Amino acid sequence: MQRYLVSRLIQSIAILFGVLVLVFFMVRVTGDPATIMMPREASPESIEAFRHKMGFDRPVIVQFWDFLTHAVVGDFGNSLHFKIPALPLILERLPATVQLAAGGMLLALVVAIPLGLVGGSTPGSVWDGIGRLIGLLGQSIPNFWLALVLIFFFAVRLRLLPSFGRDELRSMILPCFVLGLPTMGSLVRLTRSAVLEIRGEDYVRTAYSKGLRPNLIYVRHILRNAAIPLVSVIGVQFGYMLGGSIYIETIFSWPGMGQMIEQAIGWRDYPLVQAIAFLTSVIVVVLNLFTDMAYALIDPRIRYGR
Amino acid sequence: MVSAKKVWALFSALLVMVMLLSACAPQPAAEPEVRITEVVKVVTETVIEQVVETVVVTQAPEEEKPTGRLVVGVSTQPNTLDMPITAEMQSRNSAHAVFDSLLWINDDGEIEPALAESYEVTDDGLEYTFHLRQGVTFHNGEPFNADSVVFSWNRYISPDLEWSERWAMADNVEKIDDYTVKITTNEPKPLLLRTIATSWAMVPPKYFEEVGDVQFGQSPVGTGPFMFVEWVQGDHVTLKANPNYWREGYPKLEEIVFRPIPESATRVAAIQTGEVDIVGRLSSEEAQSLLGVPGVQVISYPVSRVYYIAFNNITTGVGAPTEDPKVRQAMNYAVDVQAIIDSLFSGYAKRSTGYVATGELGYGVVEPFEYDPEKAKALLAEAGYPNGFTMDFACPAGAYTHFEEVCEAIQGYLTEVGIETNLEIMESAHYWDLEGAQELPPLFGDSWSETSGEAYNRMAGALLAQGYSSWKDDQIISMLNQISTTIDTDARKKLYEDLQKYMVENPPFIYLYEPMAFEAIRDHVQDYRPRSAEQYYLFYTRTVKEE
Repeated sequence: MQRYLVSRLIQSIAILFGVLVLVFFMVRVTGDPATIMMPREASPESIEAFRHKMGFDRPVIVQFWDFLTHAVVGDFGNSLHFKIPALPLILERLPATVQLAAGGMLLALVVAIPLGLVGGSTPGSVWDGIGRLIGLLGQSIPNFWLALVLIFFFAVRLRLLPSFGRDELRSMILPCFVLGLPTMGSLVRLTRSAVLEIRGEDYVRTAYSKGLRPNLIYVRHILRNAAIPLVSVIGVQFGYMLGGSIYIETIFSWPGMGQMIEQAIGWRDYPLVQAIAFLTSVIVVVLNLFTDMAYALIDPRIRYGR
Repeated sequence: MVSAKKVWALFSALLVMVMLLSACAPQPAAEPEVRITEVVKVVTETVIEQVVETVVVTQAPEEEKPTGRLVVGVSTQPNTLDMPITAEMQSRNSAHAVFDSLLWINDDGEIEPALAESYEVTDDGLEYTFHLRQGVTFHNGEPFNADSVVFSWNRYISPDLEWSERWAMADNVEKIDDYTVKITTNEPKPLLLRTIATSWAMVPPKYFEEVGDVQFGQSPVGTGPFMFVEWVQGDHVTLKANPNYWREGYPKLEEIVFRPIPESATRVAAIQTGEVDIVGRLSSEEAQSLLGVPGVQVISYPVSRVYYIAFNNITTGVGAPTEDPKVRQAMNYAVDVQAIIDSLFSGYAKRSTGYVATGELGYGVVEPFEYDPEKAKALLAEAGYPNGFTMDFACPAGAYTHFEEVCEAIQGYLTEVGIETNLEIMESAHYWDLEGAQELPPLFGDSWSETSGEAYNRMAGALLAQGYSSWKDDQIISMLNQISTTIDTDARKKLYEDLQKYMVENPPFIYLYEPMAFEAIRDHVQDYRPRSAEQYYLFYTRTVKEE
């Protein structure tokens, strides 16, 4: 178990380093920030002065070394656009994004797991129909369209929910639903098929023949075995929700990181893009690490090697 | 089988529901174009009438305390509240209310004293003496005086700061006594006063040095009608009334909240629910969908921005047929701009007559080119291109409303007179890199806005054969240089007029249109007067209680 963890940890650090290198050179391919940040009427002298202040007039390799040595201690420099240190700026936005993703994930789990369980154990029932429908809708409805329709229906027509912002608990409902729906859909399908498959396994039949109550069998034998593929999907989806809520944050004007990514790229804000990309990778890598650890906990075959 | 049927029944029921939901969205009227034209006009007129009436009313109850809260939905969150270095209009407006300048531009577009009580200009136009208003304090209690003016100038003239050119127009700013400041320029600068009025925000020296430039942008202190309260990143900026404001009886509002709502469809929803009181940056389609919504008024006004297709005669366009003025005239005759405006903007844009926008000094001496493809063909034949020619053409993607379609339409019109173009639509940031390096194809589309009330900056930017300009015409350049040093307004007006006439005979552009801005406000908002280029002052804006 320990050896397994250590090797995963080393891998993760290597990945993060790779991300740093990649991001540094990729943002520089997008073009010169000075031409975007400085007004059109700026004289060549003031554009030069701006480049000099930001250190963009130094050789790229010097800039890269400077970036690396500062990045390892969490200093990504000042955002060019917002004029304040990049990392604290993002960290200030992070709670909103985590809140949204956690809400969306919770909603997905609460709906999807029971539905998938019931659907898998009674295929063809009404509940199974609903579950399969959610599975279908979750994967096929474009989220920006759904978001707008929901805003117009629940905010403008019914005046039940706010149309944007993060002012109160009710503000979470619509964005969490839109963000959670695709995950909900895939989790329903996954749970359902896992349950369907495990239902016919020998150890389930044995459990029945022992005279265990069906509820107990479902929770202890079926769900526990279905959990392995579920955990991996949940881990991946949660990372995706944290990084992929750009549209949803923009439409609901949710003050998270996603909104900022869009602006940062548009403004060629190198330090901010670098910091965001790095932080997002850290989150995904850590999530993957947790997922792997969860595997090990759930599945003894992984825990005890080979 | 049964279950499958059930699922399908459920699915189709849901589909119907979803369709119903979307049907709940505002439906366009049966004959949108006709109805909307009228309503927008009516609404604009009533708004103007109200403004006129209420100005009179507001004078009477002078003693009134500021009341009411105004929520403004802006399209982007500010990058900083350090007003002189804000990146664009939306953030500028959030910071605007915290600061004042020595002068301001009133609603009629005239320059009036603000933090300066009066000013004198020497006859040669090189020396400006400002007499400052006494007894004005910054929000932190620091007194406003000559030192603040000198300090502000020294801070923002630093060349590595955005917009430092706006301050560098003055070559020296010196303190004469505590309430007198002398500003000198090496040569006459006719735009200096306007620039001071719109860009020179006065900052408090002590506070600034105490907190540093980074923190100043996060919690600014000025002399303006509103004081900074808080800024929650990405969520809102809150300002409250300055009780010691030097304009007596102002501001009228107790609190202003700026809330960024990047998605325009969400802004449309938020103004309908009343969560915000003002929203801007709407498309004409969105503005139309708000007509007739109870409690909401639609405002539209022309923006001092001009769209054009530029030629190049210094790099990629050297030796091209477009070096012949007849060819360039022909291309102007070939494009039916009004048809483009009617079909893509439902008529809500104005044909530009040249490169001076509506309301700017010297506007109105020339007429736009008529759509006359026969004349275009004749001119091309005269110039030696009876069978036309082929040329590269580029436009930016996603930067301006419908601009890709505009370029495609122009391509179509040019084909009709025999000019084949290879149109390339490029990612906008990359596009502007190429434009700044003068590496775009010899035919390229763009737009230019200007807030000073005069066309000079826009013209200089696009026609001085440097920076973003790819056109060199010695006559135009010499006339622009004359404009830039002529203080006398009438003389300058004459120069603008002559230049526009010259630019009809020798067009450096295919002239296109000036767009309209659309905003929506709640009924209870009074005296909200946005100006062209989306700029506004909020100290006289009020809200009246909604029943």
